[in-house]
Amino acid sequence: MLRATLRSLAAHRGRLLLSALAVLLSVAFVVGSVIFSDTVRHTFDRLFAASAADVTVLPRDAPEGRDQTLSGAQPTLPAALAAPAAEVEGVADARPEVRVQNVTVVGDDGRRIGSSTGAPTIATGWYPEPRRVVELAEGRPARGDREALLDRDSAERHDVSVGDRLRIVAEPATTEVEVVGLAAFTTTNPGATLVFVDPDVAARLLLGDAERATSIAVTAAEGVPHPVLRDRVAAALGEGYTYRTAEQQSESAAEELGTVLGVIRWVMLGFAGVAVLVGVFLIINTFAMLVAQRTRELGLLRALGAERRQVRRSVLVEALLLGVVGASLGLLAGVGLAHALVRLMGLLGMYLDPADIRIEPVVPVAAYAVGVGVTLVAAALPARRAGRVPPVAALADTEVSAVGRPLRLRAALGAVVAVAGAGALVLLARAESAGRAGMWLAVGVALTLLAAVLAGPALVRPVVRVLGLGMPRAFGPVAVLARRNALRNPRRTGATASALMVGLALVTGLSIGGASITASFDREVDRTLGADFVVQNESFRPFTSEVARRVGAVEGVGVVVRERFVPLRLALPDGSTHRTIGAAVDPELDEVARVEYAAGDTAGAVGADRLALDRRFAARHGLEVGSTLEAGFVGGRTAELRVGALVESGSPAPGGDVGAFLGLPTLERHQVAGQDAVLLVNAADGTGPPVLRERLERALADLPQVQVRDHADYKQLVRDQVAVLLYLVYALLGLAVVIAVLGVVNTLALSVIERTRELGMLRAVGMSRRQLRRMVRLESVVICLFGAVLGLALGAVWGLALHRLLALEGLTVLAVPWWTVAAVAVGSLVVGLTAAVLPALRASRMNVLDAIAHE
Amino acid sequence: MTTAAQPQPSADERPAARARLLTKRYGGDSEVAVTALDAVDVDINAGRFTAVMGPSGSGKSTLMHCLAGLDSVTSGRVWLGDSEITSLGDRELTRLRRDRVGFVFQSFNLLPTLTAGENITLPMDIAGRRPDRAWVDEVITTLGLGDRLRHRPAQLSGGQQQRVACARALASRPELIFADEPTGNLDSRSGLEVLRQLRVAVDRLDQTVAMVTHDPAAAAHADHVLFLADGRLVDELEDPTAEVVLERMKRLDVPRGS
Repeated sequence: MLRATLRSLAAHRGRLLLSALAVLLSVAFVVGSVIFSDTVRHTFDRLFAASAADVTVLPRDAPEGRDQTLSGAQPTLPAALAAPAAEVEGVADARPEVRVQNVTVVGDDGRRIGSSTGAPTIATGWYPEPRRVVELAEGRPARGDREALLDRDSAERHDVSVGDRLRIVAEPATTEVEVVGLAAFTTTNPGATLVFVDPDVAARLLLGDAERATSIAVTAAEGVPHPVLRDRVAAALGEGYTYRTAEQQSESAAEELGTVLGVIRWVMLGFAGVAVLVGVFLIINTFAMLVAQRTRELGLLRALGAERRQVRRSVLVEALLLGVVGASLGLLAGVGLAHALVRLMGLLGMYLDPADIRIEPVVPVAAYAVGVGVTLVAAALPARRAGRVPPVAALADTEVSAVGRPLRLRAALGAVVAVAGAGALVLLARAESAGRAGMWLAVGVALTLLAAVLAGPALVRPVVRVLGLGMPRAFGPVAVLARRNALRNPRRTGATASALMVGLALVTGLSIGGASITASFDREVDRTLGADFVVQNESFRPFTSEVARRVGAVEGVGVVVRERFVPLRLALPDGSTHRTIGAAVDPELDEVARVEYAAGDTAGAVGADRLALDRRFAARHGLEVGSTLEAGFVGGRTAELRVGALVESGSPAPGGDVGAFLGLPTLERHQVAGQDAVLLVNAADGTGPPVLRERLERALADLPQVQVRDHADYKQLVRDQVAVLLYLVYALLGLAVVIAVLGVVNTLALSVIERTRELGMLRAVGMSRRQLRRMVRLESVVICLFGAVLGLALGAVWGLALHRLLALEGLTVLAVPWWTVAAVAVGSLVVGLTAAVLPALRASRMNVLDAIAHE
Repeated sequence: MTTAAQPQPSADERPAARARLLTKRYGGDSEVAVTALDAVDVDINAGRFTAVMGPSGSGKSTLMHCLAGLDSVTSGRVWLGDSEITSLGDRELTRLRRDRVGFVFQSFNLLPTLTAGENITLPMDIAGRRPDRAWVDEVITTLGLGDRLRHRPAQLSGGQQQRVACARALASRPELIFADEPTGNLDSRSGLEVLRQLRVAVDRLDQTVAMVTHDPAAAAHADHVLFLADGRLVDELEDPTAEVVLERMKRLDVPRGS
């Protein structure tokens, strides 16, 4: 029996080629993403482990990650704490360190030196070994307050060499320095830009106060365990600070980075998921067709005494071998993909050493689990069908692909799942919080997808009927044959089209979401932005107060309203705590923005110890004007705030559905100084915006961390950000389409083989090669259009659901990107034509006599 | 072995197809080349029912394929009606098959996706021509298929399927209908039915039929029988009966070279 299986595999290896390719792609993406994220995690673990002090003393509640980035706040502690820390038993050394992220480095040419991908720019002192992840590669260490070192990767990228001058725009002041040396990373460069100054002047230059520091680094004496030392230092210095061991410190650093790497990992797994999902359809089809074509052969095996189980197993063994081969090739391709990703990260400024690529034992396990698992699952149904072939099939002279089995069960099952999915989406529409809505969206999308896949074959007949209505007249009688061929085995057509459907539904849904975000934002800008100009940068990072000072000094400037982002922890009356990003604004908000209030006004919102909240959020948590709640700020202080106004729409807060904002004076009272994220600028009476713009740009020319934007520029900025998301979606679609094309090619090629005699008969009774080619092409187009119709319909549902979710975040405009929809429809035609090229050629090249020859 | 007499068409019988020195070799010039047809001269007379007989490997199917323009010839010439087809390209041959020849194969004659009625008019549909409705109706009535037109092939018996195939071959009113073992896959009763239909096509509908068969009983329905052996035309017979045909066949089956 095994020999028969192997022979049959060898005989059909051409037919399994595309299935193997599908397995390969799925496995390659899984393997690539696992290897890549392992490698990145490992190298960063090393980096953080190398850079963390044995025990670190930090200001209490020092903001980290997103909170620090958004607020620009840099809490400090007294440098003098190092002295008592050094006295603690078991401490070998303790020293104050300064390390800030809220700086901008500007080159000679006035351009910003730093990552374009959002990695931070870090300014710190050139502290002695051993905990340094860089070494001096060129020049000498910086001395005094007119010198600095730059990391070599940034220097190369921005063409800076020793002797060049830089400006370090720090919060207290801008310092002009000479680059006296370059520092090279001894481990992985995470993509950050590093500037080192003399440790003795670091606090003065970067914090504006020589007596402060951002942390105290404590080195343990030989043999003293870090946790023990941490507790001793904590006991000596008292509460009021955060104490971390090296392990804790690198963990929290890894966590911070984790979000970025998490995104990459999820994107990769997304690709893998799409590849697997689409590949499954392809493999199901292949095996279903192989089994159908071999009905007589299988019947013969049964007639000769093979058990059902044996026949079934022979198909599964074939699938197993296919899975092993595909997984092996996929493993190799995945390693290649990981290398390519490492290179790609290098282009983005994260320098990973290809020699560091780690292939954990789990990788081959995952590869074979995915490859073999996918093939076996996909082949399970066809194998069962093979087992059911009766012995008499060997004798019957019936048509090979008997279809007959009714689709009622599938249709019914699909309908049930569809109803469940629709239910989830209705719950989404009714949900009041974005978190809950997101969950229902995920459930709804999964269920509706499953429903479409289940019911797909049952929809083939009605949909193709309608699609085909216009065809016969346009393409002649072959169109009838093509349409009937597509209808002939609805399961096959459905499964083939499913691959395309998945991709198109994804792109349609997400592009509706993207277009809705853009349109909502456009409207929001039109409705709420009263300012002539917005000064900020493309990554919404805070900037030094120097910018506001200069803007305020420009001739012809009317009102300038500063806006800062405020990470907040709100303790609500119902006992829950809500983390959000609020905004703090100057009291003149009304002059540059139009906020619509449900209760109260701007004066109430920005008054001392007041805040404004979104009306719906307040209602949900039982808050009204006059209620008080406790707010926790960056730096750890808390304050009792009174609700001063309820916002209907147009809150300046970036934090979605909470809409919390307060006055800058209130913020300054409770939080260590943060940085401005946005300046809203009006021209004074008598100054035309074009003139003012020119003046603003001149005033800010040497501060490349911000740009001046008018309404149109501002809208474009948001569009560009959404576009990045959409590129990702299109990349996913691209992959899905490639595999879908493979699937269509596969189905058509196998159909052509299966219909050899039929095609020969058609040629014998006078069908020309051209007509035959056209017939195959039209069948392909029908399949693809069917996939497109389903995909667009499903995508529209998803898009609407996504829009409901976005509406909860205040993005209420629904926009349908008709151009994308049209492109998808036309694209699927092209896909159909492309996929049919080879099978059509093969069909038309077929020798008539071979085709009609008796068996 | 009888001498391979040159078939002499009678004055009133214009040949529907003829071949002169028709040779077909497979395998090129190599040593393993097989000569399927060896300088065969043959005439298929119009308005008659001709059977081509011979043992397996005698070249009878190859002869039909070459006459019908399904296969190329190694040398010699073939005419269909007045036109020589030996020099035609694929496009012309396709058109010729579509417009001037009808086919009935042993099995797999019908497209499973089309109804019987659609199968019957398929060649005309492919050609983009409107079928001659009156003629098609006459064919359908004559073959007794009136109540089967809406059925799919899978819903028809083997005999019925072959009758639909006959109807399709007749529907475009071709110059010549080739039938390749049309009864090979049928039980004797259904086979008989199909042979009667072919007979009717010749007698009542005035068609020309050339049928390849190895069954003497089938050949007995023809007006004229050509016997092939080893790629040569070895004998022929007018107004055959099953017994006479069987007798001749037995002689052909005598081991060669003895």
